[in-house]
Amino acid sequence: MLLRVFEWMGSLPVSVALGQSVWMFAVIQAFHLVALGIFAGAVLVVDLRLLGRGLIEQPVARLARDAQPWLIAAFLALVATGLPQLFQNALREYYSVFFWTKIALMAIALMFTFTVRRRVTLDDARVGRFWSKIVGLVSIALWLGVAVNARLIGLFT
Amino acid sequence: MPFLRGWFEWVEAFPSSIAFRESQYVYPATLTTHVVGMCLFVGLIVMMDLRLVGVANRSTPVTQVQKRLFPWQMAGMALSAITGLVLVYGQPMRFYGNVFFWIKMTMMALAGLNAWVFHRGTYHSVMRWDAAAQMPAGAKLAGAASVVLWTGIVVSGRLIAYNWFQ
Repeated sequence: MLLRVFEWMGSLPVSVALGQSVWMFAVIQAFHLVALGIFAGAVLVVDLRLLGRGLIEQPVARLARDAQPWLIAAFLALVATGLPQLFQNALREYYSVFFWTKIALMAIALMFTFTVRRRVTLDDARVGRFWSKIVGLVSIALWLGVAVNARLIGLFT
Repeated sequence: MPFLRGWFEWVEAFPSSIAFRESQYVYPATLTTHVVGMCLFVGLIVMMDLRLVGVANRSTPVTQVQKRLFPWQMAGMALSAITGLVLVYGQPMRFYGNVFFWIKMTMMALAGLNAWVFHRGTYHSVMRWDAAAQMPAGAKLAGAASVVLWTGIVVSGRLIAYNWFQ
């Protein structure tokens, strides 16, 4: 069932066109990495603060509010540059264990970011330092897992 | 860079360089760590640059951003630099013949120069605009130049994988 969907994605004219262009795929891939860098920065500014490191003079809530638009914009840029890669390589991704690990971790990371982490960063006075640190660590670990598995998709095919 | 060719060829013949090329897992592990280091380094450099431009982390004074993110940026730089050197060490001639590698190295030198000029110049008066809503032109320019350069470095770094011009 899912295989059919991936076969269909790979057979779309836009996927075929991407595959035929010499440089288009590479440039999309390169800007996916740029978006990753910005995303990592927006995540880390807040997560380091949750760990009691980085911008310690500022309250978590203020840092999180400042970082939020960059976090969302960078994530949208990651999706916009990620989807064409998925469509062009649909079958390769379907058969890659790293791709599915990435997707699973990303789903968990997104849910975590917009529920638990969001509540903790809205008002860090409500949770103790211990739980703040745990939330920061879990966030870093989840997104690190997403990035590492993503890089491995292309290296083991 | 023809004068460097001999050095690259010399390194390529090292037994440890050959071992790296022929290993199955060391290369992917090193490359993946390089990307993780890039996230830490470029991510936090760009957060600082965007503060200088005046579009991100605006609640935090510039001096705090500079001082508090610095050790993490350096940790990220160390991680990317070490893994980057290992990658070149393992396949010197692949990088030597790749135009994107040299573009990346040139832009890295320019990014370093940009940071140096900023700290030597505009940054001296930081106390006057530390928490200001409007950044001075010198700070905006340095921040914007850094974002452009690091974007170029990441893009050309990724494009090294493609040898279109060989």
